[in-house]
Amino acid sequence: MDLVNVAHLHLLLNHFPTIGTVVGLGLLLLAFARRNDHLVRASLEVFFLIALLTLPAYLTGVAAQTVVQGRAGVSDAAITAHQNAALLAFLLMEVTGALAWFGLWQSRRNSRPGRSTLGTVLLLSVVTVVLMGRAATYGGEISHPEIRISADAPPVEDALAVGTRWLGTASISGAVAAYPWVWPAAECLHFIGLCLVFGLLLTVNLRLLGFMRGLSFASLHRLLPWGIMAFAVNLMTGMLFVISAPEQYTENGPFYWKVALLGLAGVNFLYLTVFDKNWALREGDEPRPLDRALAGAAIMLWVGVIYAGRMLPFIGNAF
Amino acid sequence: MMQLFAWLEGTGLSTWIREADTVWAYPTVLTLHTIGLGVLGGAAAILDLRLLGIGGRAPLAPMRTLFRLMWAGFWINAVTGALLFAADATERGTSWLFFFKMVLVGIGVVTVVLIRRAVDESGENAVMVSGAARRLAIISLVVWTAAVTAGRLLAYV
Repeated sequence: MDLVNVAHLHLLLNHFPTIGTVVGLGLLLLAFARRNDHLVRASLEVFFLIALLTLPAYLTGVAAQTVVQGRAGVSDAAITAHQNAALLAFLLMEVTGALAWFGLWQSRRNSRPGRSTLGTVLLLSVVTVVLMGRAATYGGEISHPEIRISADAPPVEDALAVGTRWLGTASISGAVAAYPWVWPAAECLHFIGLCLVFGLLLTVNLRLLGFMRGLSFASLHRLLPWGIMAFAVNLMTGMLFVISAPEQYTENGPFYWKVALLGLAGVNFLYLTVFDKNWALREGDEPRPLDRALAGAAIMLWVGVIYAGRMLPFIGNAF
Repeated sequence: MMQLFAWLEGTGLSTWIREADTVWAYPTVLTLHTIGLGVLGGAAAILDLRLLGIGGRAPLAPMRTLFRLMWAGFWINAVTGALLFAADATERGTSWLFFFKMVLVGIGVVTVVLIRRAVDESGENAVMVSGAARRLAIISLVVWTAAVTAGRLLAYV
C-alpha cells in the first residue's frame, strides 16, 4: 500500500473517534433525559462502532509516523507525545466499546442494559471524550506549527503524559526488547485467543447456517461475552506486536487486509446481538436466507483474518 | 532413525514445501495448519466450557456436531502437520518440544473420544454430564492449550 495514502487515511479516520465519542455521549445523555431505551441502545451501538473504527485510526497513525518523521518542522517529541496520548485514548475507547456491547448483550437478554453497565459506560465515555480530545490536540501540534505556543519549543507535556509514561509506546517496546520471552509468550496467548474467538463464532454462525438446529440462538448468544474477552486478549497481544515492531506491519499488505476484515467481522459481531430475527430462532427453527448469508460471510471473514495474519511474514515482511 | 528423517527431508515434496518460492508451499500449509488449529481447538474449547457449565445449559445432543468439527480440524492438521514435519524432519524429529507436543495431541485426541462417549451416554435430552466427564473437559482444555503453546513455541526454541 502506498504510504502517502496511509498518512492521508489517518487524517480521514482520526476524526471518527474524536467526534464519534462526543456523538455517542450526547445520545446517551439525551436518552437519560428522555428516558428512552431505544436511544440508549443507539448510543451503545455508536460506542461499539466507534471502538471498531478507532483500531484503524490508531494503526494508520503508526504508519503515518513513518511518512512524516524526519520532515522539516516535524519534531519527534511531538509525535511521541501524540502517540502516547493516542494509545491511552485507544485503550479507554476499546474498554468503553466492549462495555457498550455488553450493555447491548444484556438488553437483548433482559430487555434493558444493567444499571451498573450503563453507569460505567457513561463514566468511561466521558473520560474517553477527554482523552480523545487530548490525543487530537497533540496530533494537531505535529503538523500545525501555528497552534503551538512557541514555534520551536517541544510540546508541553501535561501531568497525565508524565504519569502514564510507563504505558507509553517506548516503555512497551523497551520491555519487549529487554525480556526475550515476552514476544513468544504473547504469540502463544494470541493463538489460544484465536482458538476461542474462532471456535465460538464458528459455532454460533454454523447454527445460523442451519446446523445444530436443536439449539436455540439464545443459548449460543449466552456465550458471546466469552468471545469479547478472548478477543480482548488478542487485541492486547496484537497491539503489543505492532507497538514493539511497527516496521513489520506498517508496510505490510496483509496487515491492512487483516484490519479491514476485522472491522467487518466486528460489525457482524454487533449484528449477532442487535437484530431481532436471529434472536427469535428457537430450537428446531430454520434460519432465514439472510441469516444464512451473513453467517457464511462471517465464517469467511474470520478465516480471512487468520489467513491474512498467518501470511504476514510471507506475503508481507513481518519477522 | 536419523537416516529416515534425512531421507524424508530430502524427498521432492519436502524440498518443495521448504524451499519453493511460492505462497502455495510452506506459507499455505502453515496457514491451513493454523485454520485447522482454530477449528479443532475452538470446537473442543466450546464443548469443554459447555460441559463445565459455562455459558448456560444448552441441550447437549445437538452440540455433537462439534465433534465432527473437531475431527475435521484434526485431519486437516494431521495432514498439514505431517507435511510440515517432512519439510524439517531432522530438526523436528530430534526436538524434545516437538515430541512433547505430539504427546499432548495424543492425550487431546483421547479426551475427545472419551468426552464423545460421555456425551453419547448422557442421553438425548441431557443438559448435564457426570463429574468424570467434567474432569475430562478440564483435562481437555489444559491439554489443548498446552499443545497450542508447544506448537507456537516450536518457532522460537
